[in-house]
Amino acid sequence: MLEHFSFRVIGQYMPLFLRGLWATCWISGISIFFALLIGIIACGLRLSKGRFLKKIAGIYIESIRSTPLLAQLYFFYFGLPTLHVNLNEVQTGILALALNSGAYIAEIVRAGIVSIPSGQVEAATAYGLNYLQRMRYVILPQALGVTIPALLGQFIVLVKDSSLVSLISVLELTRAGQLMASERFMPAEGFFTVAAFYLLIYYILKYLSNWWQNRLIYMEGH
Amino acid sequence: MIIFKNVNKWFGSLHVLKDINLHIHPGEVVVVCGPSGSGKSTLIRCINQLEPIQKGEIIVDGMEVNKRSTNLTKLRSEIGFVFQQFNLYPHLTVLENVVLSPIKVKKVPRKEAEANALRLLERVGIPDKANDYPSQLSGGQCQRVAIARGLAMNPKVMLFDEPTSALDPEMIKEVLDVMVELAREGMTMIVVTHEMGFARQVADRVFFMDAGQIVESNTPDEFFENPRNERTREFLSKIITHN
Repeated sequence: MLEHFSFRVIGQYMPLFLRGLWATCWISGISIFFALLIGIIACGLRLSKGRFLKKIAGIYIESIRSTPLLAQLYFFYFGLPTLHVNLNEVQTGILALALNSGAYIAEIVRAGIVSIPSGQVEAATAYGLNYLQRMRYVILPQALGVTIPALLGQFIVLVKDSSLVSLISVLELTRAGQLMASERFMPAEGFFTVAAFYLLIYYILKYLSNWWQNRLIYMEGH
Repeated sequence: MIIFKNVNKWFGSLHVLKDINLHIHPGEVVVVCGPSGSGKSTLIRCINQLEPIQKGEIIVDGMEVNKRSTNLTKLRSEIGFVFQQFNLYPHLTVLENVVLSPIKVKKVPRKEAEANALRLLERVGIPDKANDYPSQLSGGQCQRVAIARGLAMNPKVMLFDEPTSALDPEMIKEVLDVMVELAREGMTMIVVTHEMGFARQVADRVFFMDAGQIVESNTPDEFFENPRNERTREFLSKIITHN
């Protein structure tokens, strides 16, 4: 079987894979950044006292979590232009990924926040911090600490989900594999290489998360 | 300084404060005792609006606590609060715990706030722990940091909610010593506690609460030697035989 496996062609396609890898990394990176932002805001709204804001955040989180990412991606890609909102493929991909992950992150962060003892909120309140200050200086630093494993899991999901943007013809890692598979008719080599690169990203993220978590544990002096 | 006028509070259908009237003067030290569930903690938690009240009026330093127009941030920055479980911020160092509110709420420059925090840590006897995290401290040290955190806002009143109840016996004294010193320096204090030695030593008045009411209010001497209320006598006989 292995004698049919062409490392030579993989080598030929390496520049394309590296371009794809780079695109996957930066598209995911930007999406993660916005997803975190959206997630924290949505979570903040969901936990706020305003009934209307709470409702809005709830609808957003529910509707994202109850529909497939691919459907959301197609909605933005095919649907937005008909509403005269014109984004290019990459922007559409980032929008869909960030909005999708944001909803999951909102729930992860919420679980982290409700795990913080109520005494922390009380102390911060008693010492005059307002809602945003309590979140910023007391609750979120602690909540994010305990949610690192779950957040990392979500980041990894996002990196893998970013392969879907190949369907709206963005050249990223999976698309590079598709090109090799169709141009040279070598799907095994093409998608094996793709998988290997995703594995690489996974290990880097995992390493970063362990490093971050150890640092936090050290800071809390346990 | 602190005035309660016919204050009533309910938790759902549970009537936890019943027609409380009291007047605490600047510099006064008041100890509140009573059986658990009698409303002691709720009483002081209403003062900085950690708990809202449903009827009556609370006035702190001329500010009506439950009026919408009252600036709660300003009110709270005049009231130091010490919790039974310390509630220090575990992700911040001791020094950062103390300076957080002065910097963020009172907008004190960081340098000034830190210098003041170090002075306060000196005063509560733990200047060498400034850069440690709360998890590295003993309970008594944590509670002293919490007192320093309260004092850092330069408050007019300090409220203590059972400050020694979560401590190991050998650490109670170090916390009480700090509180006694504070009382002698003229701080207005309301202390929910069963430390009767502390009450005798520095309290100007002792309140006894039962079922949401202040049933007895007297000087410590009168309170301990000559309790007028049946419930007070019963309560004192229980805790004093155990001391």
